[in-house]
Amino acid sequence: MKTLIVEIIEPNRLGELVTVSKEFCDEPDIVALGAGDVPGAYDKAWQIEETVSANLVPAIAELIQKEGYEVILFSASTVGAGLAGPVAIRLSASVVSEVICIEPDLVVKRPLYGGKAVVTYKITAKPAILTIRRKYFEKTELEGTTQAEPLTITDPLVSLIAEKEEKSEGIPLEDAEVVISGGRGMGGPDNFSMLQEMADILKGAVGASRGAVDEGWAAPTLQIGQTGKIVAPGVYFAVGISGASQHLAGIANAKCVVAINKDEEANIFKRARFGIISDYKKIMPVLNSVLREER
Amino acid sequence: MHIAVLAKVVPDYEVPAGDFELSDNRAHSRYTRMMGLYDENAIETGVQLKEKYSASLTIISYGAEGDIPILRKAIAMGGEKLVLVIGQSDDASVIAANLKMAIDNLGDVDMILAGQQSADMDRGVVHSILAEMLGITFIPQVSHIESENGGWKISQITETGSRDLQFNGKGVFSITSIPENIPRIPAVRAIFAAKKKTVDKVAEIESNAMGIEEVSVEIPKMESVCEFLPVEDVGETVKTLLTKLREERYL
Repeated sequence: MKTLIVEIIEPNRLGELVTVSKEFCDEPDIVALGAGDVPGAYDKAWQIEETVSANLVPAIAELIQKEGYEVILFSASTVGAGLAGPVAIRLSASVVSEVICIEPDLVVKRPLYGGKAVVTYKITAKPAILTIRRKYFEKTELEGTTQAEPLTITDPLVSLIAEKEEKSEGIPLEDAEVVISGGRGMGGPDNFSMLQEMADILKGAVGASRGAVDEGWAAPTLQIGQTGKIVAPGVYFAVGISGASQHLAGIANAKCVVAINKDEEANIFKRARFGIISDYKKIMPVLNSVLREER
Repeated sequence: MHIAVLAKVVPDYEVPAGDFELSDNRAHSRYTRMMGLYDENAIETGVQLKEKYSASLTIISYGAEGDIPILRKAIAMGGEKLVLVIGQSDDASVIAANLKMAIDNLGDVDMILAGQQSADMDRGVVHSILAEMLGITFIPQVSHIESENGGWKISQITETGSRDLQFNGKGVFSITSIPENIPRIPAVRAIFAAKKKTVDKVAEIESNAMGIEEVSVEIPKMESVCEFLPVEDVGETVKTLLTKLREERYL
């Protein structure tokens, strides 16, 4: 099936979408968003610096129609969320978001109810537009670059007036092999420094539950869960996190979860491999001290 | 200015995964029903904009008549009018077409706010489909909205930070949660007043569904068995944990 990837130039995201595209074709085409070389080998490539989804909808819908794409892949991201629905309506296409599994004959799976259930759909009308949830597909290592033709847009409706990147030192949260996350049980923002210290020692990254983000204790970019970042570390430390299903949906692919919570009834223990029923303020300083000594 | 907020009544999203059950491929009907997780953030944002810009605020929902008592919370929070399109479809396109009908009936809506995604289907596409059906701009993951120079300054949360966007005209914005839009707790007087409010009930219109067949719905198995570590001696607990993580090659 003729397949198009539409994604920001970011090797990890692109690599995952290339893996997914292999379910449908030998070599996909791409619309690469942003500046710089287009990593990977594609049959045809287009490129545009614009990343505001509202401005891209007409050009991408027109391209899909002109080239006759049957499958269009976005990652489940801010840009993907802005493009998938509007492009689908322009093309009378089918759209399935947050896909986590692909089977033959356009059968796809996605989570429902905050990950407590999984629905299987068969797509019966093409083009099929899919947004792919991060970290559910092994990324393809992209080799080389592809020369891209420019994609042009006319009359952008929305102006980008400022962009602020949250500075995170060290490894990005989505790629970290060790993630230490704090929840409402942290009781305030100050003790997130304990989590950061541990992350620094283990070359990991700090995350947060929606509760901690809503309280303003952690930046929204650190939110892990159904509507935050999806992570798949080797080990995930959940500190003061109750374990709402929406949070668990973001760590479904973590290999090992260590839960530290003083509430023995906390749902997080049902997902954990190791549990410590205690106040994190007693555990974390000792944990950091032992790790420091071992360095 | 007329703001409409889309709200959906969903099964209790706080039911733990281990206790979750299905009936007829949907959450069991015994679960309490409540307003969607992010919809309340959208309502709060709508109320704040109404207060700041002296706007009018209408709540629009698609669902069952039995949802009305729950939707009244949106009125108690500050909504002025409640429109319910009575329907049962789970198809994103059908729902969007019916919401469009309700918005068209209102006639003068300038801005539509919706939660980032519903807490049952978790799709996050109905609002964007609605925007395209209405022929207006859609911006996802919005955290702040301000009127500026006759247009709108919109703050959007992205995977790596945030950005400020500006545009003129009508729009649909999906609202994410931030500390500033934590839903207010309505006053008792407002709750009683909301109970008396007339609800506009509208019959659904026929609309084409997307080409998607639901094959099955299953509850994934959680196979993790937690090993609780003794905590009498914290130093020993920590050493045991690290040893086990290394033995099993997690660290």
